[in-house]
Amino acid sequence: MDPVSKTAETWFRQGAARMAEAVRAREVSVTALVEDSLQRISRTDDRVNAFTDVTTVRALQRAAELDAQLASDDGVSALDALPLLGVPFAVKNLFDIEGLPTRAGSWIGRYSAPATQDGALVRRMEAAGAVLVGGLNMDEYAYGFTTENSHDGPTHNPHDLTRIAGGSSGGSAAAVAAGQVPIALGSDTNGSIRVPSSLCGVFGLKPTYGRLTRAGSYPFVASLDHLGPFARSVHDLALSYDAMQGPDHDDPACAQRVVERTLGELGRGADGLRIAVLDGYFQEHAGEQVRAAVSRVAAALGASRHVELPEVARARAAAFLISNAEGAQLHLPDLRTRAGDFEPLSRDRFLAGALLPAAWVVQAQRVRRWFALQAAELFRTTDLLLAPATPCPATPIGTEWIEINGKRFPARPSMGLMTQPISCIGLPVCCVPVWMEGSALPGTNGALPVGVQLIAAPWREDIALRAAAALEAAGVVTAPVAVLGDSA
Amino acid sequence: MTPEEIEKYVDAAAAAVALPIAPAHRPGVLHYFALAASMADLVNAQALTPEDEPAPVFLPVSPPEA
Repeated sequence: MDPVSKTAETWFRQGAARMAEAVRAREVSVTALVEDSLQRISRTDDRVNAFTDVTTVRALQRAAELDAQLASDDGVSALDALPLLGVPFAVKNLFDIEGLPTRAGSWIGRYSAPATQDGALVRRMEAAGAVLVGGLNMDEYAYGFTTENSHDGPTHNPHDLTRIAGGSSGGSAAAVAAGQVPIALGSDTNGSIRVPSSLCGVFGLKPTYGRLTRAGSYPFVASLDHLGPFARSVHDLALSYDAMQGPDHDDPACAQRVVERTLGELGRGADGLRIAVLDGYFQEHAGEQVRAAVSRVAAALGASRHVELPEVARARAAAFLISNAEGAQLHLPDLRTRAGDFEPLSRDRFLAGALLPAAWVVQAQRVRRWFALQAAELFRTTDLLLAPATPCPATPIGTEWIEINGKRFPARPSMGLMTQPISCIGLPVCCVPVWMEGSALPGTNGALPVGVQLIAAPWREDIALRAAAALEAAGVVTAPVAVLGDSA
Repeated sequence: MTPEEIEKYVDAAAAAVALPIAPAHRPGVLHYFALAASMADLVNAQALTPEDEPAPVFLPVSPPEA
């Protein structure tokens, strides 16, 4: 078969592993895969608004280079060893993309000097054969959980366009859910990978703090920032995560650890793992549908034990204060001179954060360490903890308040209630999408997804991914491409 | 902190870090500072010992190799 004759329609529902395999088999060209992704973006993004930059020229050029090399190697190529050969991907627009200003969701950033090179993880993905097709929408400076960006417009949840995609990596999760790309990268400081994963119904991995280099990405909170991938299968998640591991002196928080591959571990499943459901705070802040999702996952994994972490609300408060202070200090020069150019939804929080007493922030850092010790104690007898990723499914865009178990909460910050205490102590989490049939919210055509956090001890991403793979194989969690109607 | 204490503190701290607060932003800043104060109440109420140090993250930086 002529490798370029495959129609674009053929590929956008496929995962990254299948795409790379097809390129290796000369069943499809890299150019065809990239054109498929670009066409899917072109036909759907007027409704989803996941992309802020589409790097068409660069992507087609790189695809042509890969195709030319594959052709000249006459059937056997060194490129065939690349795990992500020909796979289109996109990144939250806080990753540096050579030649583009790094927006980080901001008005100010889009007028900054163009990046002189790609961020480290973009380079690692492309070194593994992937092809960057663009930058993705986010909350300004990553300070939000909804991607209701006033400068670029809100990202719409592909499964219900009236609802939020979650944030701050909302464009990343939405692009994957919409079938625009099989893999996207995002960042997670307080939940910004896990919240949009949960609301858009895709898999997300927030690795251990320090695992993946953050060099060449716009920071938010140095003490808490993580980067990680989104995908529609656990296999693709592990494939991209493995490709991005490795130490990097350009990120002072990046651990000097060898690559610990996970892909080969997925087949081991969850057998032998000691798994428990997190009770207390995590049940009290979860709505009915979310609690049902955790129960379904627990049942599938044979987890009947329930455990509690102590003082979770204090850990969340610690993450709140550290984020508020570090995030604000980073932007202090602009807050002094051009506060009016900031996102109205987060501007006043930034201003307030610049004024916090040092005693509060240092105490928060000490509580963080104390809480990490409590969690370590729990992991002596448990390999994996289960907790909701969000208090509820996606809310309509513009929602100000939500009600959880009879209590009223401010909608935007509360989307991070479940994730914030966990990233506070840097634990690795795979967020898996659960679809609860029959519990659709009013105004939706069907069920909306919610995510469950599979939380492992530090550096044990393999355990979280093994359990996720077992759940996926059992059909308990799944990440379908959203139905976006007629032309899409 | 009482609302009055928060107003006084915010004004003094803003002056200390040379951060002008526009009148239109002031109600929001007071609101979010009060929220942060409630978070501070939570962390400050956690009993700690002198051994409960923050996790140090600073790494000394060696000169680049010649």
